[in-house]
Amino acid sequence: MTENKKAILLSITLFVVFLIVGELITSTGERNKKNMTEYEQLMGMGETQAHVPGPIEVFKHALSELSDPFYDNGPNDKGIGIQLLYSIARVMAGYLLSVIIALPIGFLIGMSPVFYKALQPYIQILKPISPLAWMPLALFVIKDSVMSSVFVIFICSIWPMLINTAFGVMSVKKDFLNVAKTLEMSSLKTAFQIILPAALPTIFTGLRISMGISWLVIVAAEMLVGGTGIGYYVWNEWNNLDLASVVFSIIMIGFIGMFLDSLISRSSKYFNYQE
Amino acid sequence: MEEFLKVENISKSYPVRGENSFVTIYENINFTMNKGEFMCVIGHSGCGKSTILNNLAGLDIPSSGSIKMLGNEVHSPSLERGVIFQNHSILPWLTVFKNVTMAIKCKFKNMSTEDIASRATHFLKMVGLQDAMYKKPSELSGGMKQRVGIARAFAIEPTLLLMDEPFGALDALTRGKLQEKLIEICDKTKQTTFMITHDIDEAILLSDRILLMSDGPEAKIAEIVAVNIPKPRNRATIINDPAYYDIRNYLVDFLVNHSGKINENIKNGTLKEKDLPIAVDPHQLKFQLENNSIDL
Repeated sequence: MTENKKAILLSITLFVVFLIVGELITSTGERNKKNMTEYEQLMGMGETQAHVPGPIEVFKHALSELSDPFYDNGPNDKGIGIQLLYSIARVMAGYLLSVIIALPIGFLIGMSPVFYKALQPYIQILKPISPLAWMPLALFVIKDSVMSSVFVIFICSIWPMLINTAFGVMSVKKDFLNVAKTLEMSSLKTAFQIILPAALPTIFTGLRISMGISWLVIVAAEMLVGGTGIGYYVWNEWNNLDLASVVFSIIMIGFIGMFLDSLISRSSKYFNYQE
Repeated sequence: MEEFLKVENISKSYPVRGENSFVTIYENINFTMNKGEFMCVIGHSGCGKSTILNNLAGLDIPSSGSIKMLGNEVHSPSLERGVIFQNHSILPWLTVFKNVTMAIKCKFKNMSTEDIASRATHFLKMVGLQDAMYKKPSELSGGMKQRVGIARAFAIEPTLLLMDEPFGALDALTRGKLQEKLIEICDKTKQTTFMITHDIDEAILLSDRILLMSDGPEAKIAEIVAVNIPKPRNRATIINDPAYYDIRNYLVDFLVNHSGKINENIKNGTLKEKDLPIAVDPHQLKFQLENNSIDL
């Protein structure tokens, strides 16, 4: 058996074990709905206490949600697909904004040791600030909840890009720059034909980290600002005590995060090179 | 007649960290090169060979002195001076072919795309890489990468070619093959070449004249040895030439016994600095060796 086959088999085994254990520890036994009062049935779907749903319950719920992901029954009842699209759109807006700003500035910082040293303390202070700490300020200044969450994505995703771009540009091998010099390349040509391709793998590492952070941040941001988005959805279902929906959306957040990450890592393959 | 290349009194010194003084790597470097000449520099590590080459390339400016090529002062890198770097320095994100075309585009700005392609193909064929043109450098062996560097340098037809230990990192077999390739190409193109090497046999095989440097700091060009073995040479037959061993022994003797004592000899007066570099006539080597035989 090849290594890959072994890995797949182990993966599947782990999954099955997880399902069985999950089902066992969450099972609450059959309840007799007939003997309940109407009030009891209304409050807890026949259960006296809310419980963490088991895999089967979540799977059933997922099937029904995914069979109609884009329905819209008003502000508090939208399909998972619509909520995810809202979140993705916000992430993309904030992320692209930071790409537009971080790449050129990172490039300049990397080209100039003076800039690098001068901006380093600011970057180091701004970088560790929690995204949600920005939120009140953003809400007050921007006065719009959607734009505020986009801003929070922007302010959190910009630092890894900026630092990696600067670092990538700064650590371009001196030999490559010497090649450019001996070929009498202009600074612009050197920047685009030598420095940029040489730094691209490092830049992409930054893009990937930033994408991960953006997706982490949007859930928290939407929980705060509310209205739409997957973060709001999770919080809303928690308020409804619909834990099957909560677990289902947690899983969906994971899948979309993986998808966004693979989007970047796949495209980075075209720009990677080996020495 | 104006010299092709004239290096006058160049020196290089660096400030010493934490002290208010300078350390001089080399000083009073004087030599000239003729058109079509192949010149090698030999010296121990630390004598500033690579820095001198960078001075000639214009990548590094000497602390004092002047370098003139065809009467023009060298103060910045130029397409007239091609450089083959020690670690080949081909761009890993471009194919072999594109590495060469990029250089050609820089030199011949108005050349058509077809002409650029055929020129690149021509020079890659010349170094025997016609089958690897569309490969990425990571797929090539060390020797093949260095050949790309050679093709790239020759494709822009530099007036002066500078090579910094181009074969230093290669195994002996590959090195031998590339040396022969280089001889073949230089014969064809009459390329004026300045090369740094650690390999005495390589220097004798390729050079018209060999610069011998004393040890650093304060290194100087101590001697210039003319190689009187007729060209074209090849590795197999050069060892049959009686002059080969005379020169070889002389070079080894210099590196082992003399290169470290030049500054000392200047201080105690047995050597006058203004006499350097001493031009060594290969016809007298026999006589000298008989008088102080060395154990190799």
